[in-house]
Amino acid sequence: MKALAALAGAAFTVAACYGLGSMIAARLGARLRRDEKFPLAFVLGAGVLHLAVFAVMALKIAYKPVLFTMLSACVAAALATGDWRLPAAEDAGRDRSLPVGIRYLFGIVAAAFTVLYLFNAWAPEISPDGSSYHLSLVALYLRARGFTPVLTNVYSTLSGGVDILFVPAFAIGKHSAAALTHFAFLIALALSVLSYGRRIGQPLAGAAAALLVYLSPVVGIDGTSAYNDVAVAAIVFSVFYWAQIWDSQRDGRILIAIGLLAGYCYAAKYTAFVMLVYALAFVAWRTRRMGPAMVVAGCSLVMAAPWIVKDWIYIGNPVAPFANRYFQNPNIHVSFERNWTAYLRNYGLKNLWTLPIEATLRGEVTQGLLGPVFLAAPLALLALRSRHGRRLLAPCALILATYFGNVGTRFLIPSLPFVALAMALALEPAAPLLILLVTAHAAASWPESLVRYTQAWTLQGIPYKAALRIIPEERYLNDHLEYRWARLIDDHVPPGKRVLVRSEVATAYTSRDVLTGYEGAFNEKMQDLLDVGWDSSSQPGKQWTGSFPERRVRRLRVVQTGTSEIPERQWDVHELRFFDAGVELPRLAEWRLQARPNPWDVQMAFDNSEATRWRSWETLRPGMSIEVDFGREQPVDQVRVELSDIDWNVRMRLQAMDANGRWTPLPAREELRQMRYAGSVRRAAGYELRAHGVDYLLLKDTDYGAQDIAQDPARWGMTRLVYASGASLYHVNPNQVNP
Amino acid sequence: MTLRLGLLGVMCGILCGCGNLPEPYAPPTQRPFFEAPPEAARILNMADADVESHFVRDISAELQGNTWRWTGKRPTIRLHLNSNQKLVYSIDFAIAESTFQQTGPVTLSLFVNDHLLGSFRYASPGRQRVEKPVPAEWLEPDENATLAAEIDKVWTPPPPGGTPLGFILIALGLEQRELERK
Repeated sequence: MKALAALAGAAFTVAACYGLGSMIAARLGARLRRDEKFPLAFVLGAGVLHLAVFAVMALKIAYKPVLFTMLSACVAAALATGDWRLPAAEDAGRDRSLPVGIRYLFGIVAAAFTVLYLFNAWAPEISPDGSSYHLSLVALYLRARGFTPVLTNVYSTLSGGVDILFVPAFAIGKHSAAALTHFAFLIALALSVLSYGRRIGQPLAGAAAALLVYLSPVVGIDGTSAYNDVAVAAIVFSVFYWAQIWDSQRDGRILIAIGLLAGYCYAAKYTAFVMLVYALAFVAWRTRRMGPAMVVAGCSLVMAAPWIVKDWIYIGNPVAPFANRYFQNPNIHVSFERNWTAYLRNYGLKNLWTLPIEATLRGEVTQGLLGPVFLAAPLALLALRSRHGRRLLAPCALILATYFGNVGTRFLIPSLPFVALAMALALEPAAPLLILLVTAHAAASWPESLVRYTQAWTLQGIPYKAALRIIPEERYLNDHLEYRWARLIDDHVPPGKRVLVRSEVATAYTSRDVLTGYEGAFNEKMQDLLDVGWDSSSQPGKQWTGSFPERRVRRLRVVQTGTSEIPERQWDVHELRFFDAGVELPRLAEWRLQARPNPWDVQMAFDNSEATRWRSWETLRPGMSIEVDFGREQPVDQVRVELSDIDWNVRMRLQAMDANGRWTPLPAREELRQMRYAGSVRRAAGYELRAHGVDYLLLKDTDYGAQDIAQDPARWGMTRLVYASGASLYHVNPNQVNP
Repeated sequence: MTLRLGLLGVMCGILCGCGNLPEPYAPPTQRPFFEAPPEAARILNMADADVESHFVRDISAELQGNTWRWTGKRPTIRLHLNSNQKLVYSIDFAIAESTFQQTGPVTLSLFVNDHLLGSFRYASPGRQRVEKPVPAEWLEPDENATLAAEIDKVWTPPPPGGTPLGFILIALGLEQRELERK
């Protein structure tokens, strides 16, 4: 039943996309050939359907009947209007058929891989990102009947134009339905490459390029998982394809399709926004006028704007999770963005010149491989000799330019159709060589071959028993640790409770609120509490004192003046205290506290807890400050700042506000002492976790701090509930963390 | 064109200016203090904020370089002990080049509650660290203990005179652990 539901969920969603796309294409007056109608209409319909689902989610009416009615309406309307039907074969125009032998050879290869892909997509979904954030957000939105601010998952801020199509599919057929929906994009991508070859009168090149893309190992595993890269590639290629159709038919209405799809590129993945640049430039170039380009721009805005507005409203940053220095917000730390983007630029590869080998042959570091035949990708440049080749390589260059922001192999998928077509065009005169290349690619991409030369993320075989649920879903999923950890949480944590984890679990399989350590500012702060508890370098270890002759001041601030060449170094203030004649000033309700940057956490430096610390969450730089307005003039003669032990580069100066409202230096005798906290930082950390609504903690044996807590959970005010599959689940015990 | 650019500039300004910076905050609820399990003893770093309250004699009130202090002939500290078991006397210090030129080789004698724990001779200047187990019978749990380190020769300042200097003290105290047998 689950197998059928998965298939039904995906089929229904795909049918709705196709139906909607067919109707729109008909009304735009596009004359599509029989072979290109399904891929082009499906992707165009997906774009428009995504807007409809977005509206349903924004209105918070994502109930099954609503989603079901929406899909049904798209299918029914397409059937009723007759737009569903494919055009007659004679529309094929100047198509040239492939020789029968090649057709059979390519057909058999394609069929074999389709069986491989279908069963993998149909099997229970356990891909790393699919079983975590892609589908956990889908499941969360469905539980909430629509969008809800998810401030603790940075991935929720990425545009989700493809993921949102998983919502109706998931509502009907759960996780596998989402993966099957993505698989439909893979089929559409391959078909569109195939039909583009025919459109330009080079069917062998089209067929060969379609297979080069379709058989690529990273395309295979990504396209059969609940990811979105292959869908993005299909959308990107559709923009190009519709632009070529418009160029040949010159019907202004087709510009609407180009604009919608170019905007859908942004809605599907930020990095694909360059296709809007391409579309605008292409239309402007071909018409020598700005008007048509404005039509494209306007339509693209319809698709992209909802995602920009959503992030602006929920996160306070329209382009979250990026540009957080400019759109300061409490939900994503600048340091996270810097660390994350720095990692994505190299994945830990020391030498980026190894990328060609990594992306085509090895794939272990960059999480997937294109296949060894793409070592011949430079042959694509030979296509520059032809007009068709040049037209392919222009958008290819644009898309490739964004790749260096994320060098994961998946991020090459959107450029792959262009590269493959250009390679095939270049080699078409040497047909046997091209056929040999495709055959070798097929042989090298089959799972049994892949295990001989790579340990990268690839498909492992045909899991037909799992797909058909002959092996029960639970049993299949239980072979994966990430799933078992998710079950551990579901089995032991009551509904509505929050669980902190330090690294990924299959959150799509738990309904509990799981905070993954790095995925949001709040999560990072909770993780930081743990670090302060066990890591002495994070604990208060230095006390900076600024002493001066007693002075009456109303506003006083500590300005940080140091710098650090190590980007990870921050300014960490556990407590900031003011004294007069040796007596600490009590922190009165009328005081007003400010910090720059990260003003949202300033209270952490004034809460009398050594487990909490205000952190800059940015690299140490001069000009950072913490400021206090006492509410009235106050005699003060000393300021003490309690810093983390690791804060070697921090330098501070005091400033007081004068009667004219200007900050003036407050000369002080400075002293930096080591300090020891007499209390229990671990217990204080446990208290803070609970005070922030985190009642449970799941730590894998390999997680930072796991050993310290496992040795004596009571020191942290915690109780270990269960240990299984290399992970411990702790309950933060209220009796132990309350003093 | 100028108008369009101007509008674009204004929009960008609004976009960037629409910050989400909050109003200043009031101090939060003050957190409770959590007792730590008592330690048997401790090592006093000369930069520790509360270190002066442990001084008995011959340690400078002035912290140098945020880490160390000059001593006199017999620097002495007082520590409260929660246990007398498996305690190790630990001292981190340095013989200064400048004083060594006058004193030559020196001998440092370590005392616990006025019992001589051991003597060590240093024929060259430089940083040193000594660790030596303390017999349990010299100490009483839940009582104070005095720790001293006496240098046999102090540096005497030239006329008109000043404070004689012993050595550079960085850390001194007791630690509960077993030393590896060599």
